[in-house]
Amino acid sequence: MLALTSTDYDAIRLSIKVAAAAMAVSLPFGVAFAYLLTFGDFKGKVLLEVVVNLPLTLPPVVIGYLLLLLLGKNGWLGSLLDAAGIRLIFTWKAAVIASACVGFPLLVRSIRIGMESIDMQLIQASRTLGATWHDTLVTVILPLSLHGIIAGMSLMFARSLGEFGATIIVAGNIPGVTQTIPLAIYDYASSPTSEDLALSLCAVSIAISVVVLFSHEVFDKKLARRR
Amino acid sequence: MKEPTIKLLCLFCLLLLPVRTLAGEVKLSVAASLKDVVNELADGFAKKHPDVRFQKNYGASGALAKQIENGAPSDVFISANLEWMSYLKNKKLMDAPSIGTFTYNTLVFIGSSGKKVSGMNDLFKLHSIAVGSPKSVPAGAYAMEAIKRAGKDKELENKLVMARDARDCLTYAERGEVDGAFVYRTDALQAKKATVLFTVSQGLYPPVIYPMALTVTGAKNSDAASFYRFLQSAEAKVVLSKYGFALK
Repeated sequence: MLALTSTDYDAIRLSIKVAAAAMAVSLPFGVAFAYLLTFGDFKGKVLLEVVVNLPLTLPPVVIGYLLLLLLGKNGWLGSLLDAAGIRLIFTWKAAVIASACVGFPLLVRSIRIGMESIDMQLIQASRTLGATWHDTLVTVILPLSLHGIIAGMSLMFARSLGEFGATIIVAGNIPGVTQTIPLAIYDYASSPTSEDLALSLCAVSIAISVVVLFSHEVFDKKLARRR
Repeated sequence: MKEPTIKLLCLFCLLLLPVRTLAGEVKLSVAASLKDVVNELADGFAKKHPDVRFQKNYGASGALAKQIENGAPSDVFISANLEWMSYLKNKKLMDAPSIGTFTYNTLVFIGSSGKKVSGMNDLFKLHSIAVGSPKSVPAGAYAMEAIKRAGKDKELENKLVMARDARDCLTYAERGEVDGAFVYRTDALQAKKATVLFTVSQGLYPPVIYPMALTVTGAKNSDAASFYRFLQSAEAKVVLSKYGFALK
């Protein structure tokens, strides 16, 4: 039986909000990096590749700690933002940044797979017909790698829903403010009396993930049929 | 299935069977906040009993209790709160007569020394205060209790930052991400930049007790029992007070 409290509903809302924001914020960067890594030819490409993929292998706790050092009151970026009156640490925006960092490699990878599958002749044809690089990007590359972009977005969204390690460090575990579903489950799982609540939230978590992955499959099938 | 496959499978299953406890091994399940002090105690004991080996498992009290409940081998359990000890006692997994108190802790408030804060009544001057998330961090639960009993819960409601554990509270206070934090005295001793601004009056929160006990299997292990007696000795108390634990 589902037993949810009002802070649990807050956590569910917040999780979806954070995941959607993380996805939206990182999408343009994801496309840009995927484009660079697929079609770019420049010095230090391997290095860029390593840096982009680093969050995939680093423990999320490390990312959280580095973000704290960077965005904290005394961090080099945080002190600039602080002077401008912007505070990120311990707000839901910090959770978005944490999720975006952790999910970014997944996004870039998926988009890259989409871009790499494009027939190079189509791109070259568009260039010989006089298209500039951004014409080619908008009219050829993006439409043809759409399935990769969609896959990346849903992976990113799903990964953000599950983000725990980095989030709890930079955003804290404040009910109603920064407490997402995984953080709430962590709280519940720490007490012998709240097992039911933990299980209810687990069920919600599974349901959302299933919906996300399922709708991605359906959408992808539709896209494949159109082609 | 072919016969050799079945034989291999049987062999594999045999390998999975639990190995009998080696003589002279003591398995500890200890709350992570006690890591340093228990390490030193175990080393001290091992010096006198060179044949005894320790297998130490540090973690959140709840996680340890769940492990023991699910059959993880353990001889001695030291918890950061009474809740998980009684949970295991009710499941008949603890040797009930052995349940005792390992040590006590006290709650303090830390922050940078520039802040003019000398008691609960001054906290309203601060912008942000870190506490352990009260549901999962015992120190946070005690801090929330103290805030409530002092009648400051409304006043501080929007200033509290719930952290994953006491160690994160300390990090936030050290780096100046928060103006102050409620932590145990033992954690405050680790701080380099933040200092203890005041000790929370004991009248505001229940005594912080670390219960310990032998598990049902541990009670049958003579080395575990002798280590357990060592934990109650005067020698152990010296080590405990060195780390800032209260003896009453």
